[in-house]
Amino acid sequence: MASITLDKITKVYPNDVTAVNGVSLDIRDGEFMILLGPSGCGKSTTLRMIAGLEAISSGDMLIGGRRVNDVDPADRDIAIVFQNYALYPHMTVAKNLAFGLKLRHVPASEIETRINRVAALLGIEPLLGRKPSQLSGGQRQRVALGRALVREPQAFLLDEPLSNLDATLRSSMRTELIKLHHTLGTTIVHVTHDQVEAMTMGERICIMKDGDIVQVGEPMEVYRNPANTFVASFLATPPMNLLPGRIESVGAGALVVAMDGVALPVPTAFQAAYASHSGKPVIVGLRPEDFHLAAGDAARTAPIDLVTITTEVLGPEVILVANLASGAGPEIHARMPRDFRAKIGQPLTLHFDLAEIQLFDPETTRVLPRPAHP
Amino acid sequence: MNRLAKKIVPHIILTVFSLIILMPLVWIVRVSLTDKLTAYKIPPEIGTLGLNNYVDIFERFPFVTWFANSFIIAIVSTAIALPLATAMAYSFARLNTGGALLRLGVLASQMLPPIILVLPLFGVFLFVGLTQSRVSLIVAHLSISLPFLSWMLVSFFEGDMARLEEAARVDGASRWQAFLLVAVPVAAPGILAAGLLGFILSWNEFLFVLVLSGPGTQTLPVGLASLETHAGVEIAPLAAATVVSLLPVFALLPFLRKHLIKGLSLGALK
Ligand SMILES: Nc1ncnc2c1ncn2[C@@H]1O[C@H](COP(=O)(O)OP(=O)(O)OP(=O)(O)O)[C@@H](O)[C@H]1O
Ligand SMILES: [Mg+2]
Repeated sequence: MASITLDKITKVYPNDVTAVNGVSLDIRDGEFMILLGPSGCGKSTTLRMIAGLEAISSGDMLIGGRRVNDVDPADRDIAIVFQNYALYPHMTVAKNLAFGLKLRHVPASEIETRINRVAALLGIEPLLGRKPSQLSGGQRQRVALGRALVREPQAFLLDEPLSNLDATLRSSMRTELIKLHHTLGTTIVHVTHDQVEAMTMGERICIMKDGDIVQVGEPMEVYRNPANTFVASFLATPPMNLLPGRIESVGAGALVVAMDGVALPVPTAFQAAYASHSGKPVIVGLRPEDFHLAAGDAARTAPIDLVTITTEVLGPEVILVANLASGAGPEIHARMPRDFRAKIGQPLTLHFDLAEIQLFDPETTRVLPRPAHP
Repeated sequence: MNRLAKKIVPHIILTVFSLIILMPLVWIVRVSLTDKLTAYKIPPEIGTLGLNNYVDIFERFPFVTWFANSFIIAIVSTAIALPLATAMAYSFARLNTGGALLRLGVLASQMLPPIILVLPLFGVFLFVGLTQSRVSLIVAHLSISLPFLSWMLVSFFEGDMARLEEAARVDGASRWQAFLLVAVPVAAPGILAAGLLGFILSWNEFLFVLVLSGPGTQTLPVGLASLETHAGVEIAPLAAATVVSLLPVFALLPFLRKHLIKGLSLGALK
């Protein structure tokens, strides 16, 4: 087991594409780290640099404290699972698993013990004699995982290993990977652009965009305190509502966040933090989860008048799509209980939980820092 | 009715085509079993059939030498071409050696009419004192098969093969081990198909052998051509010799069908 440290790592491809741009990241020993980001943001490139499959243009890569920039992939003692699994098609499953151990001159008896143990763990014993072409997608995925596990490496690198599976299989493999990590305690770096995977699997999430790291943190931390509007609009479905507004002073130092026809009083705990932005425009971030049908404590919630555009009945919940009563601004999504119904065009009033409000600077898109939740 | 027609029409077309292709072969087999006079009779006459011509070619002509030369040259040139072409294809596909320019250059050498290459090659062999030797013929055939086979093999090392090799490298393989233990075995059907094709290319090659060979180093195609003398065409022994020279290619046919189709149409990883 080992920690993985990226120190100002940059990757420029020969065609002058800067795929990763001076990224620094500390992955702790035994941590389950998620690399999350939209397509093309440099996740795979980062992973491949950790594995040694891609040369590092500048910066330092450390595995277990050892600088590995010039260390051959064979000598880094890490395992990688590719999106398309990359099983050796000319070998049986057993030989696929044994390949890496044979190259490392592990004794035959030990190889057999390890293969049997991993096969039992993943439930692939009946498949050991088959060729990869005789396996289903889910089985291949298990074998690819098994090939990584038998090696007992310092760290596992997973490049979207679940993305080719159907929804049911994906969710069961998700659980299984979490259990595996719990049992083995080995460092895992898991690349995904599926935010459900990111939220449920990772101990920490590293969110990337255009070759940069935007935010690193525990899933709930990233969810509740997004560093900028990109993270706010990327994480969770539906994502945080982002509306244009402005901070206004209403005498005696009291502040409100004013939007088209709505004024949300700023909770006392946040007043000091937002005071310097008084009179300036902001982007108002409201999570769909923080709209409620009933008013709470007057100091904690504020009413918002809306007009229904449509409702999406999902089963466990209903997503209300609405506009502000004034009719202006972008659509607002609110997560409602499963028996909620509203007709198109129907006006209604929801109550927003003010302690969850996030404000962003419209110019830098960064969050305006405020104290943690009361 | 319609479905029946759909089944029958292709068969009729295929039968006609097969007959057109098979006709010359059947004709040659027939001629090889008769004598010169009967061979030219129109309408065809069966006459007395016999194996005289097959005995004849071994007694009156150095047929064994031709056959042996063909065999040695085809086997040796293919055995040399195959590993080289595999390595070339690999380095084109995975290391992009020489870029598109070198790849095209290799192909361009095959676009020239062979007749243009023959004379300079003859000059080279004259200079190094290798004219009329089997070595010169092997080298000449390499100049044909190497570019051809390497081009054919490039696609086997492209695409997903890179992932496989990367998996092997992370598993602990060196570049060489990844090449020998993963890339080559996975590309094996293609490499085998290329080998068969290389053998046939050399077996059938005529022009280079005609110009570069000497009395003891002629191969079958050139030897057979020498049966067309100014004293007339020895049509019956020629037919017998042709039949015998086709035998190795026929022997390769089952392998060809299996591996060439698999190798050429499916690619490495399907
Ligand atoms: N071999 C390469 N040569 C040149 N550019 C590349 C190469 N591989 C990736 N890129 C570019 O680098 C950028 C980052 O690619 P990368 O594969 O790391 O993205 P990703 O985050 O893994 O995306 P995805 O979610 O689609 O897999 C992209 O703009 C991509 O086009
Ligand atoms: Mg990727």
